[in-house]
Amino acid sequence: MEAEGERVMVLEQLATQTGLPEWLLRGVLAPLVYPGLGAFAAVALFIIWAERKIAAKVQMRVGPLYVARRLGGALQLLADGIRITFQEIIVPVTVEKKAYVAAPIFAFAIVAASLAVIPGGPGVYGFSSSVSLLVPFALLGLIPIVIAVMGWASNNKFTYIGAGREILVTVAGEVTLLASLLATAMMYGSLDINKIVTMQIRTGIPGIVVNPIAAFLFFVAALLMTDRIPFDVVLGEQEIVQGPYTEYTGLLFVLNMALDYGKLYALMLLFSDLFLGGWMPFDGVLLGSLTVFIKTIVLMLIAIFLRSVYGRMRIDQIASMFWSRLFPLALASLVISAAVHVVYTP
Amino acid sequence: MGEEKSSRPRINLIKAHIDAIGAALRRMTKPPMTLMFPDYEEAWPEGYRGFILYDYDTCIGCSLCAQICPARAIKMYRVPGDKKMRPGYNVGRCIFCGLCVDICPVDALSYSYVHDEVYSEVKPMNMDPIDWTLWSKRIKEKEKSAKPKLKPVIDEDVGLRYEVVKSVEGEK
Ligand code: SF4
Ligand code: SF4
Repeated sequence: MEAEGERVMVLEQLATQTGLPEWLLRGVLAPLVYPGLGAFAAVALFIIWAERKIAAKVQMRVGPLYVARRLGGALQLLADGIRITFQEIIVPVTVEKKAYVAAPIFAFAIVAASLAVIPGGPGVYGFSSSVSLLVPFALLGLIPIVIAVMGWASNNKFTYIGAGREILVTVAGEVTLLASLLATAMMYGSLDINKIVTMQIRTGIPGIVVNPIAAFLFFVAALLMTDRIPFDVVLGEQEIVQGPYTEYTGLLFVLNMALDYGKLYALMLLFSDLFLGGWMPFDGVLLGSLTVFIKTIVLMLIAIFLRSVYGRMRIDQIASMFWSRLFPLALASLVISAAVHVVYTP
Repeated sequence: MGEEKSSRPRINLIKAHIDAIGAALRRMTKPPMTLMFPDYEEAWPEGYRGFILYDYDTCIGCSLCAQICPARAIKMYRVPGDKKMRPGYNVGRCIFCGLCVDICPVDALSYSYVHDEVYSEVKPMNMDPIDWTLWSKRIKEKEKSAKPKLKPVIDEDVGLRYEVVKSVEGEK
């Protein structure tokens, strides 16, 4: 709780200096700077480069190299990003124009909004509420609808199939994600993310130790929700080009790409808050935020490393795995939570 | 469906996942087997047929090369101030069959080891005799200023590995 007070002090000072209300500063800084879009942009540039580099390493290739050769091609993504940003946005004549243009913007805005409630450090959050855990899930749950609209508006067979798959995958994955969430909430007896982290710090036990099954399910379901490789049926590069994103070019395509990485970032940020104790060893604003950030990046690295380990699963395999294997596990994690929630009861 | 499942070999799921991840991690420690092309080149085998080079002074203008060329990459030209017809070369059409080199009675044509040139237009690929002579000189220079040569070696551990070749065989 002291950390909380300290952060409030920092923001209050800033508020008195600039003459702006504190809630406004919070609401703007958190979604736009850290843990929001600014941090996400840096993470995305690093993670996509790392993804290509790690896959190359596993396949005994070199990977991106020539942009900033001394750093191992680390600026490759920046170069790609600049190129694709200034590329012409081609709107095909057959698309439903308004929905086609609005959908990626809307979807990305939803991801950005969900970053407003996830704390990225002690007291570093946009809004806090006693049910803040539900907000990111409610928001991320909207995205499949937007993607379905995207696929429909693009008026193309690949995008139809991709959109249909997105719905199927959501039906399979969301239940597991929500069940693991329910187990988590039951374990801590709270829906406030900040409170959950302070509970872990108070007892000194991160959630992953107490309920590893819930953590595992959350991670796997997060991989499914963000189209990571064992479950990347929605994008399905081999047969449906880019799934719902097939018809997009230029900046709109960048938004779509960022959408999946944004979802991954948000969910992994949440994972480090819920299961890894958030800013656990530290209390200060700076060190605490850095801890959460590093934990998130490590989790994302694990998620992208799995890309080069597994092949892709079929849709029916995914559905049967999630409904008949992981969903019973989720029920088991509920039982575990009911048994162990005494750990966190004050 | 149920029968199929029971006939499947039983595997230990957790062990299989750990094995897969372990295999990927182990492979990350191995060196890449990429040939870093512009900085290194693969060693040429003996008798490699690259671009065809032309020696203006040796040529007797018999036009045999133009007749034999199956891709019609060689055409005869009139050069101002020269009584003989001279061959010109379209590198875009050439299929590197080497027949022209074989048939030339005075060995005015020869193979080079160079195969990599980039043209942004079609026009400069079609050379008249003078251009071909000058271009041949340039390609010869390029041959001389060769990059370090590597040759592939089968490696038990990695599969394929490139080794630097000390004395390049087959080089003229
Ligand atoms: S190598 Fe073959 S195709 Fe090329 S110029 Fe000579 S004869 Fe023609
Ligand atoms: S065959 Fe040889 S000598 Fe005859 S025209 Fe061709 S290059 Fe000249």
